[in-house]
Amino acid sequence: MAKRLEGRAAVVTGAGRGIGRAIAELLAAEGASVVVNDVGAAVDGTGASRSVADEVVDAIRSRGGRAVASYESVADFRAAERIVATAVAEFGAIDVLVNNAGILRDRMLFNMSEEEWDAVVAVHLKGTFNCTRHAAVHMRGQRRGRIISMSSTSGVFGNSGQANYGAAKDGIAGLTRVVARDLGRYGITVNAVCPAAATRMTATVPQSARDARAARGVASPGGERSARLAHMGPENVAPWVVYLATDAARHVNGQTFLVMGGMIALLDHPAPVRTIQKDGRWTPEEIALLFPRTLGMELPNPAPRREAP
Amino acid sequence: MLAGRVAVVTGAGRGIGRGVARALAAAGAKVVVNDYGVAVDGTAPASGPAYDVVAEIERAGGTAVASTDSVAEWDAAKRIVDTALERFGRLDVLVTCAGILRDRMIFNMTEEEWDAVLAVHLKGTFNCVRHACTHMRERRYGRIVTFSSGSGLFGNPGQANYGAAKAAISGLTKVAARDLGRYGITVNSICPVAGTRMTLTEQYLKSREIRKQQGIQREDRGTGEIERLDPDDIAPMVVYLASDDAANVNGQFFLCWGNAVALVSQPRPVRTLFKSDGYWTLDELDRLAPATVLQGLTNPAPPKEGS
Repeated sequence: MAKRLEGRAAVVTGAGRGIGRAIAELLAAEGASVVVNDVGAAVDGTGASRSVADEVVDAIRSRGGRAVASYESVADFRAAERIVATAVAEFGAIDVLVNNAGILRDRMLFNMSEEEWDAVVAVHLKGTFNCTRHAAVHMRGQRRGRIISMSSTSGVFGNSGQANYGAAKDGIAGLTRVVARDLGRYGITVNAVCPAAATRMTATVPQSARDARAARGVASPGGERSARLAHMGPENVAPWVVYLATDAARHVNGQTFLVMGGMIALLDHPAPVRTIQKDGRWTPEEIALLFPRTLGMELPNPAPRREAP
Repeated sequence: MLAGRVAVVTGAGRGIGRGVARALAAAGAKVVVNDYGVAVDGTAPASGPAYDVVAEIERAGGTAVASTDSVAEWDAAKRIVDTALERFGRLDVLVTCAGILRDRMIFNMTEEEWDAVLAVHLKGTFNCVRHACTHMRERRYGRIVTFSSGSGLFGNPGQANYGAAKAAISGLTKVAARDLGRYGITVNSICPVAGTRMTLTEQYLKSREIRKQQGIQREDRGTGEIERLDPDDIAPMVVYLASDDAANVNGQFFLCWGNAVALVSQPRPVRTLFKSDGYWTLDELDRLAPATVLQGLTNPAPPKEGS
C-alpha cells in the first residue's frame, strides 16, 4: 500500500523523546518529511541538549526517511516562527503540526510558586499557541493542514497537584475548539489528543500521588504503574495522531480524543445537561431550596471535606 | 445567607462582577470590590468603577472597600487578598470575574493580544486563587467561584486567546477542587452569558452576522439573543455557591443566562475502539475508525471552495 503522507511536511515539537519521538518516527514511516523539534531539556524544562533531536533525525534517516532537527523553544514566539519556517525552507510547506512539547512541575496548589506556574503554562499553552499561530498562516495560504495538539486527562478531568499542567492542558483543548472554527473553512483540521503513556515525564509522578488518586478513583497520568498495562509505551499514542494527519481524517475537526493502552475514545464536549428556569430573577434562597433536588442531584464531590486530624 | 462572611470580587467595577459584589453585600458579606478600572482591551487604568460600586453598596446599607490592584500581577493579587484580611480580618469567598477581550482570527492574532488576555484571565485567576487558598486552607473554610465561558468550553471562532484562557480556567478549577476540597474549600465555575460592555461590541455583532452567512457554528446553546440578557442575573447562583448551603458542591460548572441556570457536563468518553493485543496500525484505523469513534461527527467549520 502506498504511504499515506508521501510528499507531506510535518513539524513535531518535543519530538526528541517519548510520545513525540514515536509520532515523528511513524509520520516519517508514512512518507512525511519531519522537522524533529526538541530543546533537549530535562522533564522540568531546565537544560538543553542538541543530541536529543539529532538522535531521532539519525534514526529516521537510517530507515530511509527525511528529517531535520530543530532545537528552538516553542515557548518563544519568534523561535516558534523559526520552527515552522524550518519546515517551509527545508520541505517547501507545513502540512502537519503536532504540538507535543511539554514539561511538568507538580505541586499542590497552596504551595505552587509563580515560577512553577509560569514555566509549565509557557511551554504547553503558549508554546501550542505560538506554533499553531505561525503554522496557521502557511496552512491558510496552502488551503490544507492538520494540527494535532496534546491535551491531557489532567486538564480534561482534573488531577490533584497539577494546577499548572491541568490548566495548560484544558487551555489547549479550548484553543483547539476555537482554532478548529477559525481554520476549518480553509481545509485545515485541528484536533486534540489526551495521551496516556509511560514516559520519563509521567515517571516523575510519585507513587504516593498515584496511590492517593487511586484511593479516590482518579486516574494518574501514564496509567497505573502497578498494573503495568502491556501496551502503554509511547508508541501507543502515535497511530491515532498519524491517522488524524491523513486524508482519511479530513472531516474530523475540533474534536478531543483519549488514547490509552489500545483504547481510542472520542470525548464529548461540555454541554448543559440539567436546567432550572423561572419567570423573573432567582433569589439565592430559591436556588438553595431547589438545587439539591434538581441540578445537584447525585453530583459527585471529587474531594469531600475531611475533618482535620 | 452570608452574614459575617468576607468576600473578594475581582472585575467588580462593572457588568457581571458589579452585580456579584452587590448581591454578596446584600446577602450580608463584607466585600472587597476589586477593579483595575481599565477599558475592555485592558488599557488606560483609572480608579473610578471600584469606588462607584463601593458607594452603591454602602448606600444600600452594606459594607465594602475598593481595591484597584491588577489581578495579572502576582504581588498585586496578594495585595487584593491582603486587603480582605487587613480590613475585615478574614477571607471566606473569592469570585474571579476580571477579564478583557482582544478578539482576532488565529492567523492574525499578535503575541501581545494573546499575552494580554491570558495574563488577566488565566494568570489573574491563578494569582488570586493561589493567594486566597493558603489562608482558606488554614481556616478550613472557603468558597471560590471562577468565571469560565462558553467560548472556552464550546468554542467560538475569533477567540483563540479568550477561549484558551477560559478553558484553562476550567482546568484550573477542576484541579483546585481536588487540591482544596478536603480542607473545606469548594471551587466551582460559572459560564455566564450576558450583554455587557465586553460582549456587546460592534465587532461581536458584525462577526455574528458574518458567521450566520457562512454557516460557522457558534454555540449559543439556546440562550437567545445576548443583548436581552442582564448581567445582574448571574449573581444569585454565585451567592448560592458562596453560601453554607453549597458546602458539598465542588468542581462543578454552571451555565447562567437570564433566569436560567444549567449544570454543564464534563467531558466523557462516548465512543471507543479497543485493541487488547499490541499497538494499532493505520490499516486497522482506516478500516475501523469511521464507523466507530468517528461516526456521525460534524465539522464545526466545513471547508469552503475558493475561500
